[in-house]
Amino acid sequence: MVSAVHTAGTGGKGRISTFAFGDYVVSAAVNGRLFAVALGDGTVRLIDGETLDAPSTTVKAHKGAALCLCADIDKGAFLSGGDDGRLVRIAPPATIDVIAEIKNRWIEHVTAHAESGVRAYASGKDAFILGKKSASPRKVTHASSVGGLAINPKGKRLAATHYNGVSLWWLAAQDGAATTLEWAGSHLQVAWSPDGNYVLTAMQENALHGWRLSDGEHMRMSGYASKVRSLAFSRRGHFLATGGSERVICWPFTGGGPMGKAPVEFGGAGGAPVTAVAANPVHDMFAAGFENGTLILGQAGPGGTALIMKANGNAVTSLVWSPDGDRVLAGTENGDVHIADFRE
Amino acid sequence: MSESKSGAIPVTVLTGYLGAGKTTLLNRVLTENHGKKYAVIVNEFGEIGIDNDLVVGADEEVFEMNNGCICCTVRGDLIRIIGSLLKRRDKFDAILVETTGLADPAPVAQTFFTDEDVKRKTKLDSIVTVVDAKHIEQRLADSDEAEEQIAFADIVLLNKTDLVSPEDLKKIEARVRALNPFAQIHHTARCDIALDKILDKGAFDLNRALELDPCFLHGHAHDPNHDHDHDHSHDHDHGHHHDHDHSHGTVNPLHDEDIRSISLTTAAPLNAAKFDAWISDVLLGEGQNILRTKGILNMAGNDQRFVFQAVHMVSEGSFTGAWPAKDKRRSRLVFIGRKLNEAALREGFLACVA
Repeated sequence: MVSAVHTAGTGGKGRISTFAFGDYVVSAAVNGRLFAVALGDGTVRLIDGETLDAPSTTVKAHKGAALCLCADIDKGAFLSGGDDGRLVRIAPPATIDVIAEIKNRWIEHVTAHAESGVRAYASGKDAFILGKKSASPRKVTHASSVGGLAINPKGKRLAATHYNGVSLWWLAAQDGAATTLEWAGSHLQVAWSPDGNYVLTAMQENALHGWRLSDGEHMRMSGYASKVRSLAFSRRGHFLATGGSERVICWPFTGGGPMGKAPVEFGGAGGAPVTAVAANPVHDMFAAGFENGTLILGQAGPGGTALIMKANGNAVTSLVWSPDGDRVLAGTENGDVHIADFRE
Repeated sequence: MSESKSGAIPVTVLTGYLGAGKTTLLNRVLTENHGKKYAVIVNEFGEIGIDNDLVVGADEEVFEMNNGCICCTVRGDLIRIIGSLLKRRDKFDAILVETTGLADPAPVAQTFFTDEDVKRKTKLDSIVTVVDAKHIEQRLADSDEAEEQIAFADIVLLNKTDLVSPEDLKKIEARVRALNPFAQIHHTARCDIALDKILDKGAFDLNRALELDPCFLHGHAHDPNHDHDHDHSHDHDHGHHHDHDHSHGTVNPLHDEDIRSISLTTAAPLNAAKFDAWISDVLLGEGQNILRTKGILNMAGNDQRFVFQAVHMVSEGSFTGAWPAKDKRRSRLVFIGRKLNEAALREGFLACVA
């Protein structure tokens, strides 16, 4: 089951372990002490985040490519979707359970909320909501394909993005229509603010769009050099960090939200766009990866940045922090996975 | 934008009205031993044979996308599917996109110009339109789509030629040629054409298209009786055709709503800045009516050919390669579209003379 070439070395900051998996890293997730990455060859690799020197475990999850990955609702398990139409649950050491299978379709998005025990996944225009105790999922259909899914922090509502807006579904309901947040254009990745009052989307255009749910106020953030691709709220929700520009653009969400305010910026990698951002769960800090492979840590506002990995031409596709916030995993286009370990 | 992208995966777009023979062609690509692995994006699984190639079903989702000052339509489903295909381990050599019989080819073509990821890793190789020779007159009479599919084509497969008389075939080919002066036309009975004549041709890439078709520059690229591509080939020497004067536009007289083409040429060198300003203005103002634009231009003070092309308002142009030594330097610009104001276009074009 062990195949990756595994090397370790000390970077500028922290100790860096590198796994060379050789296939495009589609997505990365963490659950307890386990990191997982889903790859373009259809496998999911499990890495023990405590003992980074240990070999990884390979799980043959999908026949084609894996398309999405998230932590499942219980400790140590993950969910992955693939272009074989399967949604599978992966539990250590390497058990696979097929949760759903949709013939001739792709499972493109998956998310789960541990406290409420709800899982949601999407295929084409359909999203499926699977409650902890339900035997079969509730299917909700949108007018166009789903571009992203996110469950709100309280585990009550699901946001599904699509062309011309976002649909919000109540997870506990068995029927009923969605609340729709409308804005022209194709909406992709989506994030909820930690207080649940804002929904933000990265668009197909080089722009970000947002809604304040309490009063329906819109916010439109444009001027990005490329697609935003990645967005992450800081742990307390003071800032939203975004990709798509040459620097990490952070929008302030304190004191009434970002409307009419200038963003705070940090970092840079010689002009390459930011392709992934992730908020540290314990400290007020973000990790950011760039299209040229640069990996940095930084804060919104003064405080400087720390270089974790220099440019190597290998675009960062995914970033995830350990729950303790002292290790960060970066997945890349050519299949290298780097874990920076900041533990004493 | 048109610098060569090494390693970019070629994409062939297959269009054609219902019943023209697209599925026959698709099945040949999927089953023949051509040594290449295709990822095929189909609009329905239907009757196609699936062997080793990767077949993906797509729901055609046409999106409007606002790109700064221009608005264009793209295929959201293709952006997603191609984005995911590019992550796969089982690499493939090329992508074939089948469109429905009623599809407008513009959003498909524009997808390859506008989405960053798709643009970075793939290149539009050619738009191949299969035309049913027996029924094309009727189709052209009763549908806009059939007309648009021909207007957008880089390669036209005039299929079912065994069902029409040689005289009719000549008329049909002239009709196709009038709609699209720059497409390569092949004659087939049951899509029986060597696949290497339609796949991986670089026909959309104007620079390579010109190599395939050196006559493009001289305004008589393919007159109906002068096809150097179809199977019963006759030898001919391009050299002796090159003295014609085509400084006037050539137009086929049709109704205002019909698609037609306008071809403009001049031997006088153009001012690059003036041309850029003029063509940007034309496409911004008339880009909804102009389906495609292709041109090779002789810019004053530059020894290289300037090649230009556009799908509606989305354009690209660059200096690419020297003029062939035996060629006279001469600019030619072709517009295909509806409601084209020929006099204004010609006047604007000639005002770009340096």
